[in-house]
Amino acid sequence: MLLTCTGNVVGWWWRILLTEIVSEVERNSTLHVGDELHRALNRMDFFRLFKSLATASKFSEFGLVELSSEAESFRYESEMHLHSWASMQLGELDKRFDRTKDVPISQLLTSAVPSVITAVGDELPSPLMLFGEGETMVAIPLTTPMRRRYGLLLIGRSGGISTEELAQVSYEAAIIFQRYYEVILSIDFQTNLSEREIQLVLLTSEGNTSAEIAKKLKLSEHTVNSYTATILRKLKVVNRAHMVAVSIRAGLIN
Amino acid sequence: MSEANSDKPTSMVTILLVDDDQSEHLLFERKLAGFSNPAIALGCVEDIDTAVRFLENEPVDMIFLDNRLTPRMDFRETAPKLRDAGFTGPIGLISSDITGDYFQSFPDFGVDFRIGKDEIDAQAITFIMSEFLGKRFENSCDDDPN
Repeated sequence: MLLTCTGNVVGWWWRILLTEIVSEVERNSTLHVGDELHRALNRMDFFRLFKSLATASKFSEFGLVELSSEAESFRYESEMHLHSWASMQLGELDKRFDRTKDVPISQLLTSAVPSVITAVGDELPSPLMLFGEGETMVAIPLTTPMRRRYGLLLIGRSGGISTEELAQVSYEAAIIFQRYYEVILSIDFQTNLSEREIQLVLLTSEGNTSAEIAKKLKLSEHTVNSYTATILRKLKVVNRAHMVAVSIRAGLIN
Repeated sequence: MSEANSDKPTSMVTILLVDDDQSEHLLFERKLAGFSNPAIALGCVEDIDTAVRFLENEPVDMIFLDNRLTPRMDFRETAPKLRDAGFTGPIGLISSDITGDYFQSFPDFGVDFRIGKDEIDAQAITFIMSEFLGKRFENSCDDDPN
């Protein structure tokens, strides 16, 4: 009797555990199309969304790349915005491979439609495929309202991808990218400073270092530096001294 | 530098995990096991007061903070305690379910990022290290290809 009860309890426990695992997998695989898309606040949140898209569409790796230059001057390390690799890995690719022979990057530079690239034999269409196990990758062109060109590379899927799946992945990538533009990229075109940013300019003007500002505002140094970078972009200034000078002239601080 | 030292990690990152579930300590340790250069030293504590004492005694580069800690505390109470202790490194909020409006105010409480516990893997840790600690601490996990 005791054994039966224990067996049932164990059985139920496993069922509950499996249900939780399944619901977690389902939640992760749909993170990028749910409400979290509208809750994304920083680059980490967007990393999670793009990773969710990659995972849900059975790709093991991803990279959001900016296409501001010609293929000859393209650098994997500096032009990948969000990606699933270590920067030092991308730096190695820059040293070891001829970027002009990277098929998906060339596709993104010359085409406005998503493309599927498949590795056949030993020849890899892109050195980025070294990072993924599967032979299929997808290159999805993306554009901001200001006509800045980007591309999402999804890498490492085993087997092919149907036209319907490609359309769905491209649609979801475009939605995430639109939000990424609104939250992260469009800062370059904003000029108004938030209350927190004005507070930071004021503390900088008083001679405080990032570490001192972090302690005073109970933030991390990373967040303080991130705010500073945002202010520099918004005010189109080159350093902290320039930021303070422009803020005083604009009447943002006394 | 002697040859004997040439294989040693060039830098060391100390991460503190604050989670009242000890099984999470083990899981987190396993997730970090593949990282060798820089080496990651992991400290694990179960409550916020012990975390504050840990900070007084050990240099910590980053904290992963579980949202709910006993007794009935959440990030709105615990993260400011870490900042009050003078910690200015990144704080990552972790939870089994990090979705929902409830977490939207995390920047106001001194938290730098949020991530679901099930989302933490080698790729996520690599990104977090690069994003919040800078490239000097960025690593490729040993079990990553290349």
